[in-house]
Amino acid sequence: MATEINFGRSAADREKGFIALYKKAFPAVAKYVSKMGGSFDDAKDIFQDALVIFYEKKVNQSGIVATNEQAYLVGIAKHLWSRKFEENCALTSLDKQFDISEEDELQPSSFKILHYLETAGQKCMELLKAFYYDNLPVNTIAELFGYSGIRSATVQKYKCMEKVRETIKEKSLAYEDFVE
Amino acid sequence: MNEIKLIDEHLFNTGSTEDRLLFDAMLILNPSLPEQVMWQKNAHAMVQQYSRRKLKAEIETIHQKLFNEVRHRTFQQKIMSFFSR
Repeated sequence: MATEINFGRSAADREKGFIALYKKAFPAVAKYVSKMGGSFDDAKDIFQDALVIFYEKKVNQSGIVATNEQAYLVGIAKHLWSRKFEENCALTSLDKQFDISEEDELQPSSFKILHYLETAGQKCMELLKAFYYDNLPVNTIAELFGYSGIRSATVQKYKCMEKVRETIKEKSLAYEDFVE
Repeated sequence: MNEIKLIDEHLFNTGSTEDRLLFDAMLILNPSLPEQVMWQKNAHAMVQQYSRRKLKAEIETIHQKLFNEVRHRTFQQKIMSFFSR
């Protein structure tokens, strides 16, 4: 029975959603990967990447239009498998849509900046993640981060964006190989 | 701060038509603005990378729970049966 997954508003809500997806969709993915000659770790890697893509689609304004979300998730995983392991697999327009591999192309300096932001700017990064990546409603963010209201949460968002922008600018001058 | 907001609206195409026209004019009149747009785009890319890494770590923790905790044993056995051959 297909049920709609809800990622809610907190890490605990997300965990519930991901556990439900694991239980419902991972068996089909594991079975498929095993049939294709892959290992448990292959199935795990493929499935986790598929979960990230699924999550990004789900929380995006446009959302997921599939009537059966579990089947949709299994479909993403199978697609990722064929792209990763089947030789001569023609690149399709789907690949662009399902591309989460930019990380591999990051310049070493970008990793340094990211690492710096992860440690020195964690509070701001968490707030920006909630706004821009998790796409949570402003009132929820205000509550989660302890702001008095929508207005101060929004002000803080722009302050943080400015801080991150300035940090990147400053650090990029120090690490010269930084390109977009 | 207002500049940050305007650049966001420009990047996400969310502002009103007037705001967009105003921004286009500012891009021409303010020589440092195009550069600020580029840095803000970089900042958004960095937020995305940060967020993906966090999400992946969250998913990995969930995976470890599912494959280590006794209460998920039936699930573990089901998955492992596909790879036991």
